[in-house]
Amino acid sequence: MTNDVIREAVAKQQSGDRKLAAENTILGKVMTFNIGDQVYGIEIQYVIEIIEMTHITKVPHVPNYIKGIINVRSKVVPIVDIRTRFGKPEIPYTSRTCIITLSLNDVSVGIIVDSVADVEDIHTSDISATPQSRNVNENDFIQYMIRSENNTTKLILDVAKLLDEEE
Amino acid sequence: MAKIEPGMEAMLDVYFFETNSLLEQLDEILLRTEQANEFENEDIKEIFRIMHTIKGSSAMMGFENLSTLAHKAEDMFFVIRENPDVITDVSFVYDLVFQVSDSYKAQIEALQNNVGGEYESLDFDDLINKLIKARDKLSNEVTEGEGGSAPAETAPAESTAPAESTAPAQAVSAPTAPAAEAGSTTVRVFFEDGCQMENLRAFLLINTIRDECSYLKFTPEDVETNSETSKEIVENGFIISFIPNNGKVDYILNLIHGAMNVQSYEVLENVAVEPAETPKAEIPPEPAKQETVAPKPAPAPAKPAEKKPEPTSVEKAQAAVAGANGGAQQKQSLISVNLAKLDTLHDIVGEIITTESMVISNPDLEGLELESFNKAARDLKKLTGELQDTVMSIRMVPLAGVFQKMNRIVRDMRKKLNRDVDFVLEGEDTEVDKSIVDNLQDPLMHLVRNCMDHGIGEESPEARAAAGKPPKGTIKLSAQNASGEVVIVVSDDGSGIDPERVMAKAKKMGLLTKPENEYTEREIQNMILLPGFSTNEEVTEFSGRGVGMDVVKSNIEKCGGQIIVDSKKGAGTSFIIKIPLTMAIIDGMEINVGDLVFTVPISTIRESFKVEPEQLVNDTGGKEMIMIRGVVYPILRLHEKFMIDTEVTKLEDGILLLVETNNKSMCIFADRLIGEQQVVVKPFPKYLSRYNMKGEGLSGCTIMGDGSISLIIDTNSLIG
Repeated sequence: MTNDVIREAVAKQQSGDRKLAAENTILGKVMTFNIGDQVYGIEIQYVIEIIEMTHITKVPHVPNYIKGIINVRSKVVPIVDIRTRFGKPEIPYTSRTCIITLSLNDVSVGIIVDSVADVEDIHTSDISATPQSRNVNENDFIQYMIRSENNTTKLILDVAKLLDEEE
Repeated sequence: MAKIEPGMEAMLDVYFFETNSLLEQLDEILLRTEQANEFENEDIKEIFRIMHTIKGSSAMMGFENLSTLAHKAEDMFFVIRENPDVITDVSFVYDLVFQVSDSYKAQIEALQNNVGGEYESLDFDDLINKLIKARDKLSNEVTEGEGGSAPAETAPAESTAPAESTAPAQAVSAPTAPAAEAGSTTVRVFFEDGCQMENLRAFLLINTIRDECSYLKFTPEDVETNSETSKEIVENGFIISFIPNNGKVDYILNLIHGAMNVQSYEVLENVAVEPAETPKAEIPPEPAKQETVAPKPAPAPAKPAEKKPEPTSVEKAQAAVAGANGGAQQKQSLISVNLAKLDTLHDIVGEIITTESMVISNPDLEGLELESFNKAARDLKKLTGELQDTVMSIRMVPLAGVFQKMNRIVRDMRKKLNRDVDFVLEGEDTEVDKSIVDNLQDPLMHLVRNCMDHGIGEESPEARAAAGKPPKGTIKLSAQNASGEVVIVVSDDGSGIDPERVMAKAKKMGLLTKPENEYTEREIQNMILLPGFSTNEEVTEFSGRGVGMDVVKSNIEKCGGQIIVDSKKGAGTSFIIKIPLTMAIIDGMEINVGDLVFTVPISTIRESFKVEPEQLVNDTGGKEMIMIRGVVYPILRLHEKFMIDTEVTKLEDGILLLVETNNKSMCIFADRLIGEQQVVVKPFPKYLSRYNMKGEGLSGCTIMGDGSISLIIDTNSLIG
């Protein structure tokens, strides 16, 4: 989703105009996953597939959050551990640990997540602007936020930033 | 920003390919004839034809500026063709045509970089005006020369005036004849379904047979300019009435039948050709068509010019076009293929080789007696080997195309620097993988420029004479195959590299990494390849930007090659480039370090051995060295270099590989050897490209038989 669409959705709700705020359209779908207690999401147009944890070939001289490369049907895909990327403590991989492969503009990356949760619709009325996370590392990669009925928030990742970060 | 006409995107690739081929031909002709310093009649016709074809196809694609430019150049050559003696100042014409060629290339590059159909339309008004002036000047000279006997040609008129004036009698003889000319044959031609732009195909068909006919008439008549006629042609066919020059109707029919995209034709004897509609069809609307009438014994092209330039030109330019569209006459034996398809084919072959070893060395088969399986496996291996060789050979193209372009650069520099040099080409027919050829152009260009600018340019003619060298400098570009590698040498007999100057400069730039007196002459010479190094104080148009040489180096390394500088002060400089024939599949030695597997290219391995404690020595800095047959080599521990945990840390427990590249050697230490394997080189994923793996000694990765990944060691950067 473009930032304009998000801004528009946020503006509608903050406008105080009830009619506008009640206008509820579905903007797309997100795939949600868990890192610790927090739910994150990725818009599904970036998601290629979910694969189970496999042996990762280490690559020297890269930051610690790049775990290495794997072979997905003869394509070499680099793997990023989201936990480490966001500065959270590493935990041992379990049977629920998954790799989600993402692709944008020919750049592919697999991300390691604790577990995959669900695929759900994005409603205009649920969108909020980027929260001020305590975690600076993480904040850079959150594009917007979705609130659910039970008052939990899902942080939607900015895939473009995730795949094309400048050092 | 202009926009590419909708519906034309599909034709763009073909257009680029054809136009580029034609421009290469043009350059080739120009360079060849410029050396001879006169235009042969054939060459003038050839240039005329090239311009004409470009004009036609550019108009078809809707690139108006290109079409106008070609049109004006064509006009100028029209005058020249009719009066070859008119050229008094040959170099003036050359400069103009080279400018046209360059403008074309610039615009085509802009077109190729189009984003979503938007492209930058270049302004050629200046050049067009120059061409018009040149044409007027030339035709005035013609008039003067002939005492004003050919006034029609001097008229700057666009089209029909000169056409009519020189149009031969037999064509004009029946200008308004409504019915078919007596004795003519009429045919109805149908083009292949969905071949698109039938009107232009019809026009090209007419061009093809025009030279062979003394009478020619066709319906619809405005095929060149009116695309609406396509529909009519599709529905009713394209009707041509003609009288052949030599009475051989069959010959013309064969030409029609053999022409591009012609599906079928039927002969309609004595059929009137919709009289009222086409009173003037046989009078060509523009000068280009006049060649029609000059009865020529020359063999007619077998196809419309749009697709295949023309037999003679193809022969001449075959080398330049690198086999792309050679052999117009035998259209069955050569096809042009999209490179992307070849890349895919190539990838698939790579996968097959990987999969093959997955099957044949499958762990499930271990310990089984499998006589017939093993036999079948051997056969399969042989076949996949052949398959791989064939696919590789498809991708091989001669270096001639790239070499020819250097001709052009030397020519330009010769003029600008005002220094005469001989440019010698050797081994242009050496073949290299297409992807490598593409990567070679820029480095070679830099090197040739460097030879001109630094090598020859910095040595005055007097200095040459004093050194006993011929007054004219020589630049040589040669290529040859040598044991699985292609060796390209760019050399000059100029001033050579002055080691003292290089050293002084390197010191100033802070590029030294060890004490000055430890550098060998060879090392000093090779310092000119370092980033930011340029000895020329003055930045010229051609070299001295300080980016040149290290870009050359990195470009060559990108395609798996290496470059060495070999120079002698006062005697000249040689740049020796060694590149692999193909970069995609290499023979590798798999080695194991900790839980990682590395692949070392076998071509760089001299030997592998277990070390004896007494061979080991330490230098004063505590660095580990090993003495082999009296020579001391440094040891590099891979597990330290790549920070890998391994239990094998004692040199005696592991294995040492002596590797050599670029005349430098060292020993690398690994846990153990796994075995030899042919591997398909894959670049690292794009996401990792910012981490400069190449600089850290890794050139890529490969997928092994069991699906795991091995990292390919770049011996060159590991040593360097």
